[in-house]
Amino acid sequence: MKAARRLDGWTGRVLVGAAVLLSAYPSSRLTAQDSQFGIQGLGTPGRFETVRARATGGAFAPFDAMSPLMEAQLGDVPGLTATAMGGTSYRDADLDGRTTSLRATRFPVLGFAQPMFRRLIVSGSYSTYLDKSWQVTLRDSIVLRGTMQPYTDDISSDGGVADLRIAAAARVSAHLAVGAGVHLLSGSARMAALRTFDAVGGDTLYQPLLQREDVRYTGLGFSGSALAVLGSSLRLAAFARADKRLRAWLGDDQLASEADLPSAVGGAVGWWPSPSARFAAAVAWRSWADAGPQAFNTVNWSAGAELGGRFSPVRLGVRGGRLPFGPGPSAPKELGFAAGTGMAFSQGRALLDVGVEHLRRTGSGLTERVWTFLAGLTIRP
Amino acid sequence: MRPGRLARLGGIAATLGVASCVENLTAPGKCPEFCPSGSIRIVDTLLTMNVSRDSAYRGYVLAHEPAALAVVDAPGVMDSRAIMVTGALADAVVLAGDTVTDRIVGSDSLKLTLTLTRRDTGAQNLTLRFYRLPVNLDSTTTFANVAGAFATAPLRTVNLDSLEAKATRDTATGNFVFVDPATGDAIAVDTATDRVALTVKFDSLQAPYSAADSGRLGIGLRVAAGGPTSVAIATRASVVGGARVSWYATVDSITDSSTTRIHKLPPFPRGVEFESFVFDPPPAPLDSTLAVGGAPSARSLLRVDLPRAIRDSSQIVRATLILVPAVAARGAPADSFIVEAHTVLTDFGAKSPIALDPQRTDTAMIRIGATDSVRIEVTNLLRLWAVDTILPTAIMLRAQDEGSNPAEIRFYPSAAQPYRPSLRVTFARRFPFGVP
Repeated sequence: MKAARRLDGWTGRVLVGAAVLLSAYPSSRLTAQDSQFGIQGLGTPGRFETVRARATGGAFAPFDAMSPLMEAQLGDVPGLTATAMGGTSYRDADLDGRTTSLRATRFPVLGFAQPMFRRLIVSGSYSTYLDKSWQVTLRDSIVLRGTMQPYTDDISSDGGVADLRIAAAARVSAHLAVGAGVHLLSGSARMAALRTFDAVGGDTLYQPLLQREDVRYTGLGFSGSALAVLGSSLRLAAFARADKRLRAWLGDDQLASEADLPSAVGGAVGWWPSPSARFAAAVAWRSWADAGPQAFNTVNWSAGAELGGRFSPVRLGVRGGRLPFGPGPSAPKELGFAAGTGMAFSQGRALLDVGVEHLRRTGSGLTERVWTFLAGLTIRP
Repeated sequence: MRPGRLARLGGIAATLGVASCVENLTAPGKCPEFCPSGSIRIVDTLLTMNVSRDSAYRGYVLAHEPAALAVVDAPGVMDSRAIMVTGALADAVVLAGDTVTDRIVGSDSLKLTLTLTRRDTGAQNLTLRFYRLPVNLDSTTTFANVAGAFATAPLRTVNLDSLEAKATRDTATGNFVFVDPATGDAIAVDTATDRVALTVKFDSLQAPYSAADSGRLGIGLRVAAGGPTSVAIATRASVVGGARVSWYATVDSITDSSTTRIHKLPPFPRGVEFESFVFDPPPAPLDSTLAVGGAPSARSLLRVDLPRAIRDSSQIVRATLILVPAVAARGAPADSFIVEAHTVLTDFGAKSPIALDPQRTDTAMIRIGATDSVRIEVTNLLRLWAVDTILPTAIMLRAQDEGSNPAEIRFYPSAAQPYRPSLRVTFARRFPFGVP
């Protein structure tokens, strides 16, 4: 009742409307931004970033308490906090001069954090680890019974692997916080392969075939991180993460495949010169090359700024780096820009963040241009 | 609310609106670079030894049971004639407005209406000849039994082409109709189904009333044309019904000044109480070959040993049963017929009940005289077996209009090694789901 009183009136109605819009997203779309580059690999890696972090190119993820990239920054959580975000991507895939427009809606981050004891904060979160949603249409032909038989294949995958994290962070001192997390990787993808044969001379003797399978994925990971505050304006963050093998299962117990998941290390620096100006930069390395053929180790960087008061900031950011999967001899490149803002309600107990991100990915003749519109809601009752 | 705050909220709402979702993930693939590593693998294989324990059986539909009677004139090949007995009449009737029965003393005329469900439209001077037959016809009557009666002069000869040439379109029904005022014959051609309703009038000499036979008449029918030809006449088992008989009888009446009156008896229309066809040469006895068709109808049962790898672990996209005729299909040249392949619900040999599901029935056209291999697409059956693994993997072959045509084909059985039935199956192996 106390929370209800705090969120009543016009502000409450706006928040309720936003919450309804977010919750109206299909529950089966709990995955993240996808890409053609991930089809032959394990998928498209998700970003462990809230809207606030995404709007700064990801640079603020190590310092944003609700971004599940690290754990140590949970030490900044003052009380029970919950967050959710969603986004819609409009993607133009330009392949051999042919442009295809694609669209997908995702719900990539959910999480909460709660101080348990004086210095310990625990958190549970859901985020997309790998997106496995794609659909490919192929035209080809095959010689059957001495006759060339054209056909169309529609091969699709709908699902992904989620990272269910249980994390804890402790503020060791006024200048240092540390955290650790256990990551349960779990997910599924509904895969289908449909082949439709063309009628040749009115002959439709080859019946269409449709094969379906629900593939389950399991895996485990561990992570640790530290966040140091140097002086009044400088922050340093470091994190490491090790993920074990990702297993794909068919049916109850049929192991379809196994793949090594990457280890990751990264760091970030933040500069808070004034209460209304914050800057950050981050870099991360991941050993995706262990995941199999057509996989590459990646280095991703980002830099961003948050300007203005905490209740209505303007955010800007840039990110770049490599994608882990691609068909060519080198990893595809990615470069992106982001911007966003937010609005606090009820004395900062409710935060509505929005952002827009533009990415350009290139490699092996494919160019993807992605506009992603993001919206997130954070509540501190 | 401050204007700046309102504008910002508007921007947020617009972003949320843009984020409202519809999904479109479909992209054209460029293989192998931007396609899944796995693909649908198609395998085409010929199973030469997997059809076995096959047998042929006869007697499913007898000549007096089908939906149509085959009347064929193919000199040197097939001579088939329809035979029928009209229904019995009561020996007395009650006339309208009267209270006593009046005895039938004779016949004035009779109209016999037949429906031709199939005819050889390429034949010229298609002529039907009607003969007087004895009334003791039954299912044991053979071609030879009635050959003498058919050797006499016909009661009536009706040139179907001549009648049809005079037919005009009826504005009410859209059909072409004509009534010959001279003979009383009539024709109606259904433009939708191409069925022909033919009414033939017999006078009192051609259709006499026999009290001893309770008014029954035995009638035989032959067909002739400029060349080999055939027609099919609907029976009581068909959806359009069998032959219809309308008697115009004379009765001994005391209700009027005249002692006899001619009375049409539409309240007592009679059909036929027996109808069949006899043909020469008679069907050859069954041997080791796989016979399909004929009258009485023959069926062949083929048992298929479908490999488990195909049945359980793959998806069939096409399956073709290949049968080699042991002899050319026998019948009138225009009497091509359709062979159906059914799966059986239970394998009881000759008495195996067949699954009469149009969606699970595969067919092939049999051309009379042809000796080419017959290919029946049995994809539906094999797909059904893959879904319902309890069903026996057996195929029953039968003619579509079973028993209504003496045409028959015989295939080599599995015992005839070089020509045994074989099965060509095109199937897809399991897609490698779960493999990156």
